[in-house]
Amino acid sequence: MTTRASDDQLELLQGTLDLLILQTLAFGHAHGHAIAKSIERRSEEVLQVGHGSLYPALQRLMKHGLIAAEDGISENNRKARFYRLTVKGRKKLFHETSRWQRFSDAIARILTPPVQEGE
Amino acid sequence: MTWWKRHSDQLEDEIQTHIDIETQENIEAGMSPEEARHAALRKFGNVLVAKDKSRDIWGWVWLERLWQDVRYALRGFRKSPGFTAVALLSLMLGIGASIALFSVVYGVLIAPYPYAKPNEIWAPAVLGPNDPVRFWHQYPLSEMVEIEKLPAFADVMATIPKSVVLTGGTNPEGFYGVYLTGGAFNFIGVKPLIGRTIQPFDIHPGGEPDAVVVLTYQFWQRFFSGDVHAIGKKITLNDVPYTVIGVMPPRFGWWTNEAFWLPLPMNLADDTPVNVIMRLRPGITKEVAEQQLNQLNVRLAAEHPQQFPKGQLRTVLLNYMDITSASGEMSSSLHLLFAAVGLLLLIACVNVANLQLARTTTRAREIAMRLAIGAGRGRLVRQLLTESVMLSVLGGVLGVLFAVAATRIIVLLIPPDYVPNESRITVNGYVLLFSLTVSMLTGILFGLAPALRSSRPDLVETLKDGGNGATGSGRAQAMRSWLVVAEISLSVLLLAGASLAIRSFAQLMHTDPGFQPERVLRMGITLPPKQYTTFEQRNLFDQNLLEIIMSIPGVQAAAIGNGGMPYSGWESSYSLEGRKPLSDDQKLVVSLVSSKYSQTMGIPLKRGREFTEAEIENVAHVALINESAARLWPAGVDPIGRHLQLDVLEKPLKPPVLMPSGNNSDLVIVGVIGDTKNGGLADATRPAVYLPYTMIAPPDRQIAVRTAGQPLAILNVVREKVRELDKDTALGRPVTLDEVLGEEAQQPRFNMALFSGFAVLGLTLAAIGIYSVISYNVTQRVHEIGVRMALGAKRSDILRLVLLMVARVAGLGLVIGLCGSILLERIVRFQIFAKTSFDFVSLAAVVLALSAVALLAGWMPAFRAGNLDPVTALRHET
Repeated sequence: MTTRASDDQLELLQGTLDLLILQTLAFGHAHGHAIAKSIERRSEEVLQVGHGSLYPALQRLMKHGLIAAEDGISENNRKARFYRLTVKGRKKLFHETSRWQRFSDAIARILTPPVQEGE
Repeated sequence: MTWWKRHSDQLEDEIQTHIDIETQENIEAGMSPEEARHAALRKFGNVLVAKDKSRDIWGWVWLERLWQDVRYALRGFRKSPGFTAVALLSLMLGIGASIALFSVVYGVLIAPYPYAKPNEIWAPAVLGPNDPVRFWHQYPLSEMVEIEKLPAFADVMATIPKSVVLTGGTNPEGFYGVYLTGGAFNFIGVKPLIGRTIQPFDIHPGGEPDAVVVLTYQFWQRFFSGDVHAIGKKITLNDVPYTVIGVMPPRFGWWTNEAFWLPLPMNLADDTPVNVIMRLRPGITKEVAEQQLNQLNVRLAAEHPQQFPKGQLRTVLLNYMDITSASGEMSSSLHLLFAAVGLLLLIACVNVANLQLARTTTRAREIAMRLAIGAGRGRLVRQLLTESVMLSVLGGVLGVLFAVAATRIIVLLIPPDYVPNESRITVNGYVLLFSLTVSMLTGILFGLAPALRSSRPDLVETLKDGGNGATGSGRAQAMRSWLVVAEISLSVLLLAGASLAIRSFAQLMHTDPGFQPERVLRMGITLPPKQYTTFEQRNLFDQNLLEIIMSIPGVQAAAIGNGGMPYSGWESSYSLEGRKPLSDDQKLVVSLVSSKYSQTMGIPLKRGREFTEAEIENVAHVALINESAARLWPAGVDPIGRHLQLDVLEKPLKPPVLMPSGNNSDLVIVGVIGDTKNGGLADATRPAVYLPYTMIAPPDRQIAVRTAGQPLAILNVVREKVRELDKDTALGRPVTLDEVLGEEAQQPRFNMALFSGFAVLGLTLAAIGIYSVISYNVTQRVHEIGVRMALGAKRSDILRLVLLMVARVAGLGLVIGLCGSILLERIVRFQIFAKTSFDFVSLAAVVLALSAVALLAGWMPAFRAGNLDPVTALRHET
């Protein structure tokens, strides 16, 4: 069952998955399976995506015009759907990345033990 | 849809590719092909869910799903036509009845008038210290002017109807023309259809009005055939030519819907009382206005004590809607029925919920299966909801059709004088909105409970058991039974109401009015007041007229006078032998009659003699009394030859009623005639006194003619004779006394029809309720019944088992309903069925009717249970 995540894996927040997909596509176009593998690899398999949940996310990004799809042939000669970033998608990625950066900086500052002053 | 189909195929391909690639990789990693595919599928997760969710993203899905659900629901309805028919019938009756009654309530009670802000119109009432009854107080014009000066009121107007004769056509005709103050039309705030309304400038500063008239739609159609050039034409009213200045729309009937409105002469010396209504100044509360008006009333009462109640005065403003929108009886019947109909609707919903619950229980396996293969719970609930909403919308549509028919029938039944003549009872926009809301709410209400219940069954249990183990919890079961008990109680209430209504109608039909109404024609006769200015002139004319009418062949007897034909008449305080009665409130009904009155009406003479012609002619101070009045004397005293004094004869009445000067109030009683129902068929006989009609001469009198044959046949001859005598004399609308009595029965007939109709409805719904709950029970106990049969129970035993269930529910409902009816009767009887109470026969009829219906409704499931094949029952899996 996909909903039963084991303890050492985190369930992906919807937005995070979207961001990861955009990030994956920043290096060029890819088909669904490749995107899934890439996300798995880059998050060192801690963030393991149930592959099925990738597809609703792809549809969502397409609907918002952030990615586009076209038919193509995969590396092992299969007919596949390839996804690529649109201009709007690229802008969104930039925007979201910097926002994410700011957010994680903030979190990092909070979690860093404060320097004790006056000692 | 083709775009969507392509998109959907693409997605399917894509997912397939994904799994294939993963499988391939797994094989390369060293798994066996079978293992590899398995691992790939596991990694991907639920393919259906992924596809479903992907589709959701594109938004149309709800539509697609709805369509799917609708198709699914329709298929389901087709598969169980019995369930569908019964559920739709229940909804149709419940929703239809409530729409129909809401239409009536809306038309009669909520929005009966086309006037501007009708609920902000107030009428004054003045009460003495102990007066519970609120009468609309009338003021003379001079006092109305004082009211206008009070700061609390923004607008004040007055209305007074007077009899007016229209001449100049073929037949003179009498009308009640409605006289209004100059600002009245602006007060009412309704625009004319053509022309203009009466305006303040139509009445000159001296009070003298211009001779202008505004017509009702009906009058305009009748006399001008709806010609727009009627404006500016003249009609002759009371011998004066009036210019037509406007015509009002058909739905406008301020005090008349067949005559016309005239400007009221502002003659402040004329102390004829007029009907005053007012609107409050913005920001002024009703209490403040009442206080100001009360101060004025106290001052006026000091000047004219006879016009006000004795003792300390209280002033109350009555809402015009409350005092006029529907006569009391009609209003209370409608309120009662509206409450009943609300309950009927609730019952219809409960029925459908029960049916739905029974159905979902038998579908428990299907639902569990769908949950098991991954249907979302929300999706399932939505689908079940779609089914019930569809059912209710279908039921709503049927309900509207039913309501349109029912409303027509109700409108036909409504007695004309019991609702405002401007009421329009139709299934209108508001009503449709109401019904739409009702049916949607119904769907959600009765769909939600079964849907929620069935979406959380114990999957494993249900699948294993094949549904028969899923008996509802004991509490739910008891709840359903109680609901049916409630339904039955309510229909018992309605049945009891119907039996009361039928009885009171029958009683009225069998009431002896005390006179013989057959073949008696009555019509009003109006003398032009300008030509017949003296008391003697009027009496002479009427005496001549009566003689001529009596000479018409076919006329058996004829009488002329005021009152007693068969109702109305003045009320007067009196003294017996110079002594006042103990209570001030005791009054006598005074009628003015001619010598052949009792023969014409068919009232028996009990003692003494009738008036002689000479007594009539010479205005002798003699009197006849009825038996009730004879009982005012102590027992054993013969009233013949005794003396009676009437206050009404003491002071002269106001013009146009004429009386000889120096009248004395003393009368000698010459005879006693039988009691008649002089206050209406449903009321007790009031003590009455009859005087020679020549004693008081109003311009209007009534003629009653008893004929040998068809009474209407002599009408033309009578008209001709009247015209020969004076071509300007107007004859009013002729009615037979049978018709007059028939009008009395209208309200009881309406009550009877309405209550009976709703009782039948209630019974039908209760029958459906019994049927649905018992069949639900039987379905759930199929397994148990199978066991019983296997252990040797006979068909009759099973029948008895089920019918006992019916008897328990019906019996309980019956007892509660009867207790309720008896309680309710105590409360309601004063309002609606004033003269009837329960008796053994009517209660027995209620019990019988209900038992028969309950048995009928329970029979079908009982029969089905009895015919079960034990083998199938034990294996029961449906």
